Amino acid sequence: MTGAAAPSLSIAEASRLIAAKKLSPVELTRTILARIAAVDPQLNAFLLVTERQALADARAAERAIAAGRRGPMLGIPVAYKDIYETASVRTTAHSRILADNVPSEDAETVRRLHDAGAVMLGKLATHEFAIGGPAFDLPWPPARNPWDTRRFTGGSSSGSGAAVAAGLALGALGSDTGGSIRLPAAYCGIAGLKPTPGLVSRRGVIPLAPSLDTAGPMAWTAQDCAILLDALAGHDPLDPASVPGPAMSYASGLDAPLKGVRIGLLRRFYEHDVPGSPEILQMMTRAAATFRNLGCRVEEASLPSVQEYNAVGRVIISAEAYALHEATLKARLSDFSRVFRVRVLAGALIRAADYITAQRRRTDLIAETAHAFERFDVLIAPPTAGAAPLLTEQRPDDGFSRPMMTTVANVAAIPSLVVCGGFTATGLPLGLEIMGPAWGDAMVLRVGHQFEQAAGLRGRRPTL
Amino acid sequence: MAAQPASTVPTISPAEMQILISRAGLVLNPGQMADLVLAWRQVAGLIASIPQERKLADDMALTFRLPSPKAAITAARAATKAPAKEAPHAASKAVARKAPHAAPKPAAKPARKGKSAAAPAKAKTKRKAPARRSASRGR
Repeated sequence: MTGAAAPSLSIAEASRLIAAKKLSPVELTRTILARIAAVDPQLNAFLLVTERQALADARAAERAIAAGRRGPMLGIPVAYKDIYETASVRTTAHSRILADNVPSEDAETVRRLHDAGAVMLGKLATHEFAIGGPAFDLPWPPARNPWDTRRFTGGSSSGSGAAVAAGLALGALGSDTGGSIRLPAAYCGIAGLKPTPGLVSRRGVIPLAPSLDTAGPMAWTAQDCAILLDALAGHDPLDPASVPGPAMSYASGLDAPLKGVRIGLLRRFYEHDVPGSPEILQMMTRAAATFRNLGCRVEEASLPSVQEYNAVGRVIISAEAYALHEATLKARLSDFSRVFRVRVLAGALIRAADYITAQRRRTDLIAETAHAFERFDVLIAPPTAGAAPLLTEQRPDDGFSRPMMTTVANVAAIPSLVVCGGFTATGLPLGLEIMGPAWGDAMVLRVGHQFEQAAGLRGRRPTL
Repeated sequence: MAAQPASTVPTISPAEMQILISRAGLVLNPGQMADLVLAWRQVAGLIASIPQERKLADDMALTFRLPSPKAAITAARAATKAPAKEAPHAASKAVARKAPHAAPKPAAKPARKGKSAAAPAKAKTKRKAPARRSASRGR
């Protein structure tokens, strides 16, 4: 096989071809780099393309394969949200503040993927410090949605979503504090996993709100996210939030039958709390039917309101983000984007008592969410109320004024996967969110993978 | 705990806002001040919506503890009937360690550092490729 079809390959497919010596990592990487050069000017997904590094990584992988080595990530081209520190490669957080920042070490997750033989293509657009975007007053423009370049990718892992959907990377890393992996996954029609806190190291990832931040994979399919998670997961003794535990494979067992799996439908979320569009409601009806056809038991589930989780999450994010950036905000306020200032400056006025009240309520919400998983193996909902909006419709205060269903999983400290759940009549993707109990990452990946297989939506790519 | 009705959103006068901003040590121009007022109204509403009534004795610690991952892993294995497998990331590490970037090369300069500062457009790196890893190989 030549590399010509490479941009439409999943990680699993490319890995099989590479292992069978039917696809060369160098050829694959060259094809992807050529596609980045041709397509990315429309999308702005990349802040930096590390072309020479990518080819060197690919050649090294090719030598390793010739020497008989194997591995699911060997020779697979990936890219990193530009809050992941990369040794000797500029890491800006999409901000003027770090425009010349060149870390001396890789983030632990970058190191793990490198050790697994992945090829680094470059650094991807984000919202400024993973919160201030989309913004047009920064040195780099915001990423655009490959399905319709007038539209928003979702954020803050905006470049990660755009790059994977457009075939500019087979996988990417994102981060998720209130939905930043899953919103771009939904709007760009890919898969994205917010793992259980502590499963994936955050060392070397520029923080937004440390008590809610998680790092995780984004890829075309749930299976690809599982392959990436296999390389990423594991205890990091230098990350105080990392949890020691026995290692397991997330990619094996994805095809085990779902018969008898209990699925909770969070109907009130999308019919009342954040009313979904008619197409979202139809998608949820179809998703429930798909799961029933797979042998699952689908029943209605209930959690506290989306607004409650959001109030807690936004207060914590504002307070912690302001605390992290206070010194720089005071010294270089005008160098931040307006969106960042609107979303973070209010943290200066939050009282300690307010922050602690939010944390106290969070402990209640964690317990109440865990209680729901006594009846259900996973809970499903749409991550958004509709398809990707126009970039021009985004407002600086969106994070406060529009509650997000994705924030539920951050506040509740549970794993959550978004997969493509359908398409609108105009061809825009719609996401389906699958949440599991803490440490139920394998289950949400298994449910997501089998939904993708049954729904048959992975053959459709954006036309660019 | 069931959701409690939100308390009323506190109003704040311009003078009071100015005191808060001064207390925080911020110096804002009128536009920035207007943005902060807009955001603060939203945040104040969110704060007011969080229930506050709870017994003092309920708060033994402002932390949460997740269940052990071992139980979930055992359950996942039982559900899938998949044989226990060695950590794949550990296995692939062992495989890949010998492969890419075996030979460290001299550290490179930052990728187009000068240009990114002066002309903040998209930059394509020109630096020597494998050098990037030299700084991290020693770990």
